[in-house]
Amino acid sequence: MGVKDEVKYVEIVYRGIFQKRLAKYIAEGIVYTAREMGRPALSFGRYGDSPERNGVPAKYYVGIGNGVNEEDLIGYSTRVEPDLVDAIIVLDDTLLKGVESWAWQGVQPINLKLKNNGTMLVTSTKRINELLKMIPKKDFNWTLGVINTEPSFSGLWAFKDDLTMEKVWGGLAKLRPDIIDLDHLIKYVSKKQDANKRISAVKEAYSSVDYRSVMKGEGIDFVYNPPRLLTWQEMLEGTVIPAVPRGKRNELFKRGTTKFERPTVDFDTCIKCKLCWIYCPDECFDETPDGYYDIAYDYCVGCGICADVCPVKDCIVMVDESMFADYRRPYEMWKENKAKYKEWLKNVRQARKERVYVPGLGR
Amino acid sequence: MTEVKKLVEKEVLMNGTQAVAHAAMYADVDVVAAYPIRPYTEVMDTISKLIADGELDAEFIVAEGEHGQFETVKHASLAGARTLVGSSGVGWLYGMEAIVVTATDRAPVVAIIGNRALDDPGAYGVEHNDALMVRDVGWLLVWVDTAQEAFDTTLIAYRVAEDQRVLLPLGISMDGGFLTHSEQIVRLPPKELVKNFLPPYNRGKYLVHPDNPITVAPQVNEDWVMEIRRQHEEAMERARGVIVEAYEEFKKVFGRYPGSTNELQMPENPFVEPYMIDDAEVVLIGMGTVSKPMKVAIKNMRRQGYKVGMLRIRWFRPFPTQDVIKYLANSRVVCVVDRDYSMGSPNRGGVVYHEIRSSLYDLDQRPRVINFIGGLGGREITIQDVEKITKIGYEHRDTPITKPVYWVGVRGDPW
Repeated sequence: MGVKDEVKYVEIVYRGIFQKRLAKYIAEGIVYTAREMGRPALSFGRYGDSPERNGVPAKYYVGIGNGVNEEDLIGYSTRVEPDLVDAIIVLDDTLLKGVESWAWQGVQPINLKLKNNGTMLVTSTKRINELLKMIPKKDFNWTLGVINTEPSFSGLWAFKDDLTMEKVWGGLAKLRPDIIDLDHLIKYVSKKQDANKRISAVKEAYSSVDYRSVMKGEGIDFVYNPPRLLTWQEMLEGTVIPAVPRGKRNELFKRGTTKFERPTVDFDTCIKCKLCWIYCPDECFDETPDGYYDIAYDYCVGCGICADVCPVKDCIVMVDESMFADYRRPYEMWKENKAKYKEWLKNVRQARKERVYVPGLGR
Repeated sequence: MTEVKKLVEKEVLMNGTQAVAHAAMYADVDVVAAYPIRPYTEVMDTISKLIADGELDAEFIVAEGEHGQFETVKHASLAGARTLVGSSGVGWLYGMEAIVVTATDRAPVVAIIGNRALDDPGAYGVEHNDALMVRDVGWLLVWVDTAQEAFDTTLIAYRVAEDQRVLLPLGISMDGGFLTHSEQIVRLPPKELVKNFLPPYNRGKYLVHPDNPITVAPQVNEDWVMEIRRQHEEAMERARGVIVEAYEEFKKVFGRYPGSTNELQMPENPFVEPYMIDDAEVVLIGMGTVSKPMKVAIKNMRRQGYKVGMLRIRWFRPFPTQDVIKYLANSRVVCVVDRDYSMGSPNRGGVVYHEIRSSLYDLDQRPRVINFIGGLGGREITIQDVEKITKIGYEHRDTPITKPVYWVGVRGDPW
């Protein structure tokens, strides 16, 4: 993994379909601004991702020539993804717990590809110290910035322009003027429709972005062991893969990072009707010896069908994923201390239940 | 430089498929038939928006599948409409019956093929076997490797395919992901200039029209087939000259070579792109975007003293045999990188490899040819991979080849 300083890369991590266009437009703005600065630039999506699928973590990249010409920049960037990136933009703080692409790479730390002294910029209503409870540590210092805003769904089917692009650009210009600087950014933005509104959004983000240096070793432990994929001699022939034994799950393919909200269960009101177990398309529910249904959040994609079919009012409720720092199973917590669980349940459910109305999510 | 600037109307960030759609708009296509499949689809997304925005006046027909899609444009083309169509991977193969007769009926349909792996297993990424399925049935085939080249080649495609000496369908192949989904800056020429380059489509006596009562594709069996194939082959051969004319004319009208962004980079050959090849002992060969990491790797290797160059195959049908001979005759080793394969072929190698070997057979002093199968299903061929390929080629300057085919980066084979 050689550091290629001839090209600076920006990685944009987003949720499939909901933020697809948003990510692409943000990348476009960085490209045009870099070109205003007289540098060749281009952008590309991590094509193996499935950005059409609801909530799937997906990535977009910008490459900016740092002393190389346009042709060489294309040469360096004919990649699935760069080895290392200078800056990471995370468009939804619930992605901080890790991303799992479509390609059997396992759950990867959000800052896996960050360069030494790199920058990560997150859109979130949480504070830096809260976010660091979810972010893996690095063995070098880096900078974390927060743009104070709700996760934007403006990449959904019809683009709802809520100025998230401008806020991200402004934040990036503040923290990484070597990638895009404010003057050239404003020059680019002023060519767009409703320029005044956009320019003030850029300036506001530029002056209000919260950031600090994160020290070497600061953050959580996140051991990432990429799965070893089989050689051609080891594989079964004819595109065959063996089934996962009954009662087990595929350790290599979790997909739990796809969700931006998760079901919470009130075991005190559960009537053990089994409907959640029956309807869950990803078989995330495990029957417990006493007849309740525990949830393997690692595998839950947050589709909300369980909440939809649950016949008891407020037994299963979808809650924003940003309320949780880990994938701890709810049944264990409930068994441990029922009163504490009830209190905790009340708290997370009160906080933020819903970010945007998406049809068919079981509410 | 300044003169070229005048010929650039605007610079727009777009990916390969969007570039083709914009070129089709500049070419003022009449009929577009669409059916979605990744990675080609965005060409249809883009052109439908251009129609909806009033930028282009064309019939946009959503077919019920690829077979209907290609039948639609075939008939429209025979009736004098300039058409755009396309597909990818198994979608392209699903339309194959219609695709084959498009060639035999001599309909100059222009199709964009977003190269994609053939199932199974499902993969969206590039592999050239989909387009190569038509290598033997009379389609013109060209590979492009940047968005700018995609735009320029689309204009050339209409000019070549619709020429009355040719009248053959033409497939513009581009690498899925690495070009169809990568945004690069495209310099768009002023629209008026395109009229100077691209004449209106005129089928002459072959137009299906009430004033020109003819029948196309009657059932004629063994009495006609050989002769029709022979004519078809002649048209394919004539296309060579028409392609050269088209590139010359492009240079005259737009002031630059197709695919290049200014007059300073003007490679001289329409069929192949030679790169640092004049004194090269080892020559790398590839089609499509693999040329991009190749060029960077070649520069690196040159700095280390390796005499290495590249020959990118741009036009695959008609195959540039004479150019291959011209550029490769003096090299010692040729490393062909295939983003395709041909199971059970004479040397267990790729399609391009066998074409190159065949082209060089008549030489008295033949270079050694090694094959590298790589990048299948969208896997990367990195700069480091290319450097490794070069070194393997270099080892065989003076020693005979013990292993003619390497699989690049496959899990389980050392290479």
